[in-house]
Amino acid sequence: MTDYNISVAHLYGNLMNTYGDYGNIIALTYYAKQIGVSVNYQLVSLGDHFDNENFDFVLFGGGQDYEETIVAKDLKNKAQQIKQYIENDGPLLAVCGGFQLLGHYMVMANGQKVDGIGVMDHYTTNMHDQKLTVLNDKRLTGNIVIKNNDTDETYHGFENHQGRTFLGAGERALGTVVSGNGNNGMDKTEGVIYRNVYGSYFHGPIFTRNGNLAKRVLATALSRKYPEIDWTDKLNQIETETF
Amino acid sequence: MTLKSTIARATAKSAYWFLHTILHRGGTSLPGKLAVSIDPNILTTIQKDFDLVIVTGTNGKTLTTALITRVLEAGGYTVITNPSGSNMVQGITGTLVTTKIKPSPNGKKPIAVLEVDEANVETIAAAIKPKMFVLTNLFRDQLDRYGEIYTTYDKIIAGINHAPEAVVLANGDSPIFLRGDFPNKRKYFGFNHIQAADYQPEVAPINTDGILSPTDDSVLTYDFITYANLGKYFSATDDFARPKLQYQVTHVDTLTPRYSTFNIDGTPLRIEIGGLYNIYNALTAFAVGREFNVTPEQIKTAFESNAQIFGRQEAIKVEDKDVTIVLIKNPVGTNSVIDMMKTEKDDFSLLTLLNANYADGIDTSWIWDAEFEKLHDTNMKAVATGGERYQDLRVRLKMAGFPDQAVYEDLKQIVTAIKAFPTRKVYIAATYTAMLQLREQLGAAGYIKGGF
Ligand SMILES: [Zn+2]
Repeated sequence: MTDYNISVAHLYGNLMNTYGDYGNIIALTYYAKQIGVSVNYQLVSLGDHFDNENFDFVLFGGGQDYEETIVAKDLKNKAQQIKQYIENDGPLLAVCGGFQLLGHYMVMANGQKVDGIGVMDHYTTNMHDQKLTVLNDKRLTGNIVIKNNDTDETYHGFENHQGRTFLGAGERALGTVVSGNGNNGMDKTEGVIYRNVYGSYFHGPIFTRNGNLAKRVLATALSRKYPEIDWTDKLNQIETETF
Repeated sequence: MTLKSTIARATAKSAYWFLHTILHRGGTSLPGKLAVSIDPNILTTIQKDFDLVIVTGTNGKTLTTALITRVLEAGGYTVITNPSGSNMVQGITGTLVTTKIKPSPNGKKPIAVLEVDEANVETIAAAIKPKMFVLTNLFRDQLDRYGEIYTTYDKIIAGINHAPEAVVLANGDSPIFLRGDFPNKRKYFGFNHIQAADYQPEVAPINTDGILSPTDDSVLTYDFITYANLGKYFSATDDFARPKLQYQVTHVDTLTPRYSTFNIDGTPLRIEIGGLYNIYNALTAFAVGREFNVTPEQIKTAFESNAQIFGRQEAIKVEDKDVTIVLIKNPVGTNSVIDMMKTEKDDFSLLTLLNANYADGIDTSWIWDAEFEKLHDTNMKAVATGGERYQDLRVRLKMAGFPDQAVYEDLKQIVTAIKAFPTRKVYIAATYTAMLQLREQLGAAGYIKGGF
């Protein structure tokens, strides 16, 4: 029996879960359980309604190009609610394709341009973009380490993407690249932070290898729902998995 | 045969002889490379000597190819096949040009049964028009190396389009194989072991891909799922459904970690390997055999008299421990192994080993799509983790609810690890290079003989 609970939406989890993204929810649930919080999981997929007021955390993972084009069409119907969720400071983790589709657009490896929902200000071109100054025509694949400049935390992961994302106004990077490539291989940024939205190219998945970030986001979600409790303090008392 | 191809073949054969007999090194890639460099059309030249069957797909290619080989041999064919692992162009060419092809005892044309890497299907099919394409399954597999499943399927289709006369014999339980624009005749095999009254319509779990209807890209519903994206599917939005099956598993009797018994089209069969997924491999071989007029009785004999070919799951003895070693490489394969462990009646322990070298896949994120949580439904009494990426596995299993693990950072401790387990039965699930290292350690300690 737990006294507290949070509701988690997994956006298109049956189509956009290509690199173990669900692991982020496993990690979140793992930490939540230790402080007496249960997690209600809900898949929100094609044709489903996403109601921004129903959720305390949202995961939007990455998918294969084919599925991503199908998701992009459906996502338009959810755009307004997702925007409200974000602007109301709802915590959200967007990985890879999910990160790209929240921005203005993305260009796939074959040159096909897919509209995002533009609820955030970044955009994504592809590895053949003429404006790239490094690593043209190459996927950005390998281990990556970044440093969160707000918190000084270091995050470890694995990146594998051909897309090149450029952050927009009001967006700052999740971290500065220490080793690896990051958003575009050029500007040393990796991922995004905007309000309580965290975007990243990390597989790994990011919460499993970086318990510090998982706990931070969990504390944000809980404080938004149960502001009277010091969640950060509670979370500080349990062991963090980082490797 | 042209002079050039004769020289190419002779050169490849002497290179093969030199490598194997003088240097004692395996592999057929170098002879293949040499033959192609002398005669780029060598494959086209030699194709008239045999009919070609290409076996491709993500999981189970090697065992399926071995089974098809035995089945066709039982039917009186001379069969040429490629050794496991050399399933890319150079290795295949090497196999074909260095093998002396004898006439079939049954008087029919010899058959080359080749396991072909998905990305190499087109090159091979363009050079040698196959008689048949056998498609086993398509799952996500180390995307850092293989790419996405729809892209992979497109590559296979490119190959199929080189041979419009060839029969495409595909796993009908896999919805992706209903896609694709090609004129070939299609035939399907699959599972029909559940009665309509027992259907429990469901959608695939979220860690499954390839679940979209080819008609309108809606998410498919299944009357039953055998595993992963395989089963009897239908669309809720239109009349798309699994096609009629030409060959089907009609009954599954026993599933154990060591053997399975089942019926295909009325023939009772037994294979000396556990796991439902291996019944698919047997079904595939059965279907190919029937297509080449091998009788069900001959197929049954082929399965029963070749127990040793099911050796991929390897059983060894370490002091008083019965150790079974299985290879894991992707989520579907790992889930299948865990499903097999659910059929283990005795208490057992599990050692999981993860490396992330090129041959393993350098991205370890797939372990989060494997359902280690299901180990709670088995008789597992202890679990340990190891390998170069033991940290990833340790945390994966901890978050799956297994806080008490022995952790072995160094594979040199492997024998110690096995002996420390509380149960007599021990399973070791390892990725490819971890398995090689494991074998080396077990070999050095005298528990296994010979190379790999
Ligand atoms: Zn990705």
